[in-house]
Amino acid sequence: MSKRAVDMTFQAIFTLTDLRVLLRETAPSHEFDADQRARAQRLLENLERQVGSIRQEMLR
Amino acid sequence: MKCGSGIEARQVDELFINIDPIQAGGRLTADAMKAVIAYGDGYSVCDNCRKPNRLDYISKPPIAEFHRDVAKWLNMDAVRTVPGARRGFQAVAQTYVKKGDPVLVTSLSHYTEFLAVEEAGGVAREIAADEQNHVTPDAAATKIEAVKRESGRVPVLAFIDHVDYQYGNLHDVAGIAKVAHQYDIPVVCNGAYTVGILPVDGKALGVDFVVGSGHKSMAAPAPSGILAATAEREKEVFRTTSIVGDVTSRKFGIKEPAMMGCTLMGATLVGMMASFPHVKERIKHFDRELANHRIVMDALLSTEGTGCLSEYPRKHTMTRVDTTASFDKVAETHKKRGYYLQSALEEKGITGVIPGATRVWKFNTYGATKKQAEHLAAAFVAIARENGLAVKD
Repeated sequence: MSKRAVDMTFQAIFTLTDLRVLLRETAPSHEFDADQRARAQRLLENLERQVGSIRQEMLR
Repeated sequence: MKCGSGIEARQVDELFINIDPIQAGGRLTADAMKAVIAYGDGYSVCDNCRKPNRLDYISKPPIAEFHRDVAKWLNMDAVRTVPGARRGFQAVAQTYVKKGDPVLVTSLSHYTEFLAVEEAGGVAREIAADEQNHVTPDAAATKIEAVKRESGRVPVLAFIDHVDYQYGNLHDVAGIAKVAHQYDIPVVCNGAYTVGILPVDGKALGVDFVVGSGHKSMAAPAPSGILAATAEREKEVFRTTSIVGDVTSRKFGIKEPAMMGCTLMGATLVGMMASFPHVKERIKHFDRELANHRIVMDALLSTEGTGCLSEYPRKHTMTRVDTTASFDKVAETHKKRGYYLQSALEEKGITGVIPGATRVWKFNTYGATKKQAEHLAAAFVAIARENGLAVKD
């Protein structure tokens, strides 16, 4: 295990937190405008990358 | 979904627009949520505590810098963090109030100001609000004179709410402080609904203390708050300990008795710190908040029989409305009685109105986006129409 695994775990939690805030900003319908959709897209891509790194570090 | 044994994960603000009057300004920023996750462990902020071993001296995380920044931001000279505004009131009351001392509060004061006076042995004397529910300098002068006549002395301290919790009205704190200072009465500005919401300048208000609430208005976890003082008062309320143990001869450095030593720790403090840059920015845009609030108020007031009990036009986003002649009329015959309004609001994704309230109730739109404000406005109008109330176009 490495510092990278720890960092990526925190990063992933923080990315999920940003997604959570997006849900708050758009409650109750959660209908995204173009900017929000782009933000969600970027965050989800980051999250996938971060989870990939965690998988790589923890399961190697 | 559970986040612990028997503890439901709270998803209120993710699923609903929350207009709870006391919750709106305390919703965490994303940075505060992240800080809470990182610093949730008990003494987490104390990793790098070095001599002189006091919380407000810690530089990593930058707690000392935060204290300085908050003081500057409020245009005051010293700040301490406290576990809620009430602990700020308590620290000040313990410093100035002795048994039997009269203390000025107002007829709109929060109950914790009364309790702070009571705990210090003082006697609360209320400045009466006028018919518009404003506390005025003239009323303060009248009350001080009345207390003087009755007890032969002037009050030792005054607690004045900047915006009161009952009506959300903005009061002339500067004018009242000027009057109080003519009698040498120190003044505490209760900024629980203003510090972190709109610009607050302690020196411009002319007060000795500014108290703010982290969880009410600074996007911070509970319990959190700040107590700010002028240089003159700093030495009094933030006095350092002089007690010595008779067996051990122990002394306790520069710990402050009114603060009970170190104050706010861990997630509460770091949450408040993480939100602070966002809070500093958001107060500059309070006009946007008022514009969004106006969208909701216009919709509510378009329903015949609905009135605004707070000052109008609004200067704050927390408002008390009277729907006795509108929504409460529906409750008389509705199968859900008074609970229909909350139920109808929840069906439309809105929460925060007291269950069963259809007569006089409060709400706060702080932090709602324009789109959310429009959703709120449309929901109130729709509920009125669905229940046969007349709505002006």
